[in-house]
Amino acid sequence: MTTMRPSGENINQVWPFAHVGTKVTDWVNEFGAVAIFLFKSFFKVFRAKQMSSIVQQVYYVGARSAPVVMLVGLFTGMVLGIQLYHTLVKFGSAGVLGSAIALSLIRELGPVLTAIMITARAGSSMTTEIGIQRISEQIDALYTMRIDSLQYLVTPRIAASIISFPLLTAFFDIIGIIGGYLTGVVLLGLDAGTYFYRVRTSVEMADITGGFVKSVVFAIIVSTICCFQGYFTHMRKDGHGAKSVGLSTTSAVVLSCVLILISDFVVTCFLL
Amino acid sequence: MKKYSHETVVGVFVVLGLVVVMYMTVKLGNVSFLGNETYSLYAEFSSVSGLRIGNPVEIFGMEVGHIADFRMDQQNQFVAVELKFNNGVEVYDDAIASIKTAGLIGDKYVSLDPGGSDEMLEPGDTILDTQSPIDLADLIGKYAFGDVKKNGEQTKGEEE
Amino acid sequence: MEELLIEFKNVTKRFGERTVLDNVDLRIRDGQVTTIIGKSGTGKSVLLKHIIGLLSPTEGTILFRGRPIHEMNQNEFDAVRDQFSYCFQNNALFDSLTIFHNIALPLQQTTKMGKKEIEKRVLEKLEQLELDEVSEKYPSELSGGMQKRVALARALVTDPKIVLFDEPTTGQDPIRKNAILRMIAQNQKRFGFTTIMISHDIPDVFFISNRILILYDGKVIFQGNYHELDKLEHPMVDEYIRSLKDFEDEFFGSDLERDRPGFSEKDLKPSEKAGNVTVAIFTLDNLDELLEKLGQRRTDEIVKSLGECVNRHFGDVGISNRVARNQFATVLNYTDTAKAENMLEGFTRELREHGLGGASVDTGGGIDSEKSFCIMVRAGLVERNPGEGFQVTTDKARSRQKEIARFLFCAIP
Repeated sequence: MTTMRPSGENINQVWPFAHVGTKVTDWVNEFGAVAIFLFKSFFKVFRAKQMSSIVQQVYYVGARSAPVVMLVGLFTGMVLGIQLYHTLVKFGSAGVLGSAIALSLIRELGPVLTAIMITARAGSSMTTEIGIQRISEQIDALYTMRIDSLQYLVTPRIAASIISFPLLTAFFDIIGIIGGYLTGVVLLGLDAGTYFYRVRTSVEMADITGGFVKSVVFAIIVSTICCFQGYFTHMRKDGHGAKSVGLSTTSAVVLSCVLILISDFVVTCFLL
Repeated sequence: MKKYSHETVVGVFVVLGLVVVMYMTVKLGNVSFLGNETYSLYAEFSSVSGLRIGNPVEIFGMEVGHIADFRMDQQNQFVAVELKFNNGVEVYDDAIASIKTAGLIGDKYVSLDPGGSDEMLEPGDTILDTQSPIDLADLIGKYAFGDVKKNGEQTKGEEE
Repeated sequence: MEELLIEFKNVTKRFGERTVLDNVDLRIRDGQVTTIIGKSGTGKSVLLKHIIGLLSPTEGTILFRGRPIHEMNQNEFDAVRDQFSYCFQNNALFDSLTIFHNIALPLQQTTKMGKKEIEKRVLEKLEQLELDEVSEKYPSELSGGMQKRVALARALVTDPKIVLFDEPTTGQDPIRKNAILRMIAQNQKRFGFTTIMISHDIPDVFFISNRILILYDGKVIFQGNYHELDKLEHPMVDEYIRSLKDFEDEFFGSDLERDRPGFSEKDLKPSEKAGNVTVAIFTLDNLDELLEKLGQRRTDEIVKSLGECVNRHFGDVGISNRVARNQFATVLNYTDTAKAENMLEGFTRELREHGLGGASVDTGGGIDSEKSFCIMVRAGLVERNPGEGFQVTTDKARSRQKEIARFLFCAIP
């Protein structure tokens, strides 16, 4: 975690408790900073002239991530098919394979894995792009031209993420279910009719909306953190220039993935 | 390959995405888009053990509807179950609704014998003849320790 | 008196332990070209960034048209910034956009102009700065000089009333340098635009500046116009002039081949082979008077010709260099005092015969005293004691100077 302290104080922590205290206040400060960053950027989406930049970002974040997401979805479904089949068959319940796969994907694996894949792809590039623009003074240049850098750089990315994540999750789910079909039915001999029947009957509206709610939450988390890390890369204490951009990108991706899993837990508790 | 502009790709992506989302919502979430494709009948059971909302309702083994809701009537000691039927399914007033299990330890479902009397049930009517689910553990216990009627006679338990 | 556009009052800026600006007081006026000069790293860019609001002072106030900036609310401050345009030292171009889009961006994002009009304006600027062939390229594909011109175009495309340039002519060849400076001067004369720039391009910038600010060690040591600058006696000014001469010589390929930019270590260390070393100083007096009556250029010529004379005469045995605006020093190897004095006599004779850039020896009658005056050349020499520092020897020689020639300069009506 970076310590965002622009005044450059040097704090020598000898006492372990003081150290813990500092860390906690640092985290709280950073959380506040991220929250402010998010609110400032998000509401600018309602200003004019945003459409074309949002569309561009949907291309980079959404459309370009689709092949990867679908590939991962396919293999996840296929693996689930094999693993679950072998386990369920022991209870004589191979017939519920469809339910098991569909529910695991739609409720959990779809939103989470999609979010993680997009973080790896588009999230890291958000951090790096904005980070490099920061260290080469391009963001300062925008300031001097009276162009709002948050509106120009960050808002389209957050908006595009909120649009893309659920759509990509839907792709992941469907292709995953097809993957399960490929292994469970085609490979391992389960009856196709049973499989799809189970899929249709066991999935409820609540599962689907829950999954999409998670996607949107993940979208906001990932895009905000990645843009934030890039935007403030110049305030890092542990590196300068290119190195700080690299460190910011690492932080952004790791932090995003961790928060995806934590918020997954929180949202799941809320929904159930 | 810049044959297609970014905008086109985004358009395709968003449209496809929405199509998939719609499909999932309608097909899997059992949402009736056009409404009024179904009508409801009620059935009162003394036990609905194992039955869940969404479980299918079958006539002659074919799915014709699903369980929509449960309502408990504590005074009269039964549970009223709302059964949603697809339009066009005919149920008569001497129909019998039984809660059965698919397989040995599978999901529960409601099997309906539609009956054959002259009067058809209207939406909102109640099916009077019902059979609660067989409690398997109970049955095994009764069989092992006597009490189950077989060919009209009481079998003696294993003690004999 | 015109209203003060920008005023700094006791502005101090510290970065951690480092004080970059120390109690800076300055005034910038509307409609003028103000140049800030100073050694690299003394905080000129920091100062410029304060004006546009990229940095805020640690202490002190910045006023815009009499109003302190920190008292303004966001809208007011935005309106103020609207009038500005900034050109970065490192160009800060958007490297993921083409040149065309780089220049068009401020118009696209901050104005309501239509596509056609934006295109027209951008092409105009591209032509003006000779960038028409590269409009579809990306910044990384251009040379440093071209990138600088793109940055200029981007800063000027919005027709701002106040422009801040951070080293606009660095990295450009002299032709383009002059074109850029000319453009700045024209902007001011024709449209009354204010320009504040940082430059190292002296003396050329002096010709177009109304006001000069010198930043030294974080303090403003001079604020005024060019004429006032001449009267300033400060070690930094001399330093600048000395280095200026070296650059001129290097570029224009003068005869003074043996001059080196500054004396190198080798020259100054006493070596056995050098034998006795004598240092001679030659000074042209009355420099201020000359500047007043003749102007910078002509005076420079005269000083230069003195230097040439020195070199012609002493070039075989010594190394000469200009050590102040009006002073030359020569280090003579293998020369003791006696020999040096001999050479000096010869030099004096030559000087009196050939004169300096058009002056003639000795007076005649009937010259208008107001338009003519005397220039005195003084010289002194001293043998250097082994191990003595160069500066010490030079100072000694300086103090021993005596007049060796006097010229009468007449203004021909």
